[in-house]
Amino acid sequence: MFALADCNNFFASCERVFRPDLQGKPVIVLSNNDGCAVARSNEAKALGIKMGDPFFKIKTLVENNGVAVFSGNFPLYGDMSHRVQEVLRRFSPSVEQYSIDEAFMDLRGIKADFDVLAKRISAECYKCTGIPVSVGIAPTKTLAKVASKLCKQYPKLRGGCYMWRPQDVEKVLRRFPVADVWGIGRRSVPKLDAMGVRTAWDFTQLHENVVRKQFALPGFRTWQELRGIPCIEFEDYVEAKQTICLSRSFAHEITSVNELCSQVANFALSAVQKLRAQHSLCLEMAVFAFTNRFKDSAPQTHGSSLVTFPDGTSDHKAFVSAAVAATRELFRPGYGYKKAGVVVLKLAQEEELTGYLFADSAAARRSSRLSAAMDSVNSAFGPGTLRFGIQGDGKVFAARDHQSPHYTTLWSDIPKVTVK
Amino acid sequence: MEPNPIENAFEGDMLGNVKAGFPSPAEDIREKLDLVKLLVRHSASTFFFQVDGVSMVDADMDEGDILIVDRALEPWNGCKAVCFIDGEYTVKKVEIHSGGAILMPCNGHNPKYKPIPVGPENNFLIWGIVTWIIKKA
Repeated sequence: MFALADCNNFFASCERVFRPDLQGKPVIVLSNNDGCAVARSNEAKALGIKMGDPFFKIKTLVENNGVAVFSGNFPLYGDMSHRVQEVLRRFSPSVEQYSIDEAFMDLRGIKADFDVLAKRISAECYKCTGIPVSVGIAPTKTLAKVASKLCKQYPKLRGGCYMWRPQDVEKVLRRFPVADVWGIGRRSVPKLDAMGVRTAWDFTQLHENVVRKQFALPGFRTWQELRGIPCIEFEDYVEAKQTICLSRSFAHEITSVNELCSQVANFALSAVQKLRAQHSLCLEMAVFAFTNRFKDSAPQTHGSSLVTFPDGTSDHKAFVSAAVAATRELFRPGYGYKKAGVVVLKLAQEEELTGYLFADSAAARRSSRLSAAMDSVNSAFGPGTLRFGIQGDGKVFAARDHQSPHYTTLWSDIPKVTVK
Repeated sequence: MEPNPIENAFEGDMLGNVKAGFPSPAEDIREKLDLVKLLVRHSASTFFFQVDGVSMVDADMDEGDILIVDRALEPWNGCKAVCFIDGEYTVKKVEIHSGGAILMPCNGHNPKYKPIPVGPENNFLIWGIVTWIIKKA
């Protein structure tokens, strides 16, 4: 059996843990730069606020209904996510983190009353962390995801649902929209619709050859998984990412080249740190920047500039200075830049590359010692402690007008309590 | 750039570190007392709070003290708990009787603070149990 543990309205739930007064009230969390709603409590969903709604569009709705609004507090969400996973590990040694708010658990070889177990896992997560978690247990990962969605629809299940009997699975899949099935891409939906496939059950009733032909191997896997045959591997190791993108909208438009360079340098440093953490080297990187496309009156431009590293690099200095040079190249005076970013387009694992014969090894060695020193200082004293001059204060200009305290990650922000 | 021969020679020496003398009998023993292990029993459910504005209370707590709070523990008779009452976090003493639990004020001198019975309809009141009080000497 496999389990999927999915945190309900995760970011909104994290905010509520420390604000019990918001229990039962509408809560939304905004994306970076307070752009749009990325998490909604059930009450906020009931008001009709949709995922991705731009904040300026829902402002009146928010004000009229007393919706509590938060800017994303990602250190808090990351910490709460780790806590939930720590609880999950008490129930199974193999836990695969699927996203910040979802994790699969491998329960093969575990003997238990799975319905009781699902409810116990959910209750334990709530007791320890205050986060409501929906736990679905089923013979395959895809069915476990379906089961966890049922918990959200039916509070009677008390956060845990064990779904395995063929007649139960059929009953559920007959009412489950095929578009909501894990692994069914948005692009497949019109095709499925044309074939008369509306529910997950309809999909399972297609002939094997049709599925293989129309939806290739991933579609066939999903088809088998829905029929109760596990074929999506359990991955409790983290695969190295194939692209890395760091970009942000700015709270105000940037018109000076130095200011833009300083912002891009911040993205570049975060990108290189991600590369180093997964032991990858960057072969190709692009820097891009554009103006505010929502402002029709202002002159518009967008530019990008490509940088290649034939030998691959994960060196702070080389990466950041290349990004800054690329920014100077694409910058055009007289424009207000609203968004910029750094994308690592091509990367390789350290061990995959052979050294470049004529590389300046003494200089490279010194530089890699500098990079290693930066890593250890920043991991000991916090990111951005040691940085390049061009980065300025190391902060990105982003609007965060509604941010809650870093309750669990900064001593100065821990909640205050009175004694009465 | 020409590699610096002096720097290279120095690196060579550092690599060829020659050991001499009697090996330390404690070489493989590196144990340290870890405060976090002592203070945090369940890391998933342990949170930190800070005491704000205390006066006239008999609860061993002073302004600025750090409280270690475990959400996973069941309250016991006489324990101190961080509760959420009237929109703020407040520490109360928990008394457990046969009929249920009562949150007792830590400030017995002030008649304003009354004991609060904990019922099934308002058990959200207890946020976590105080397991340690850290105070600056």
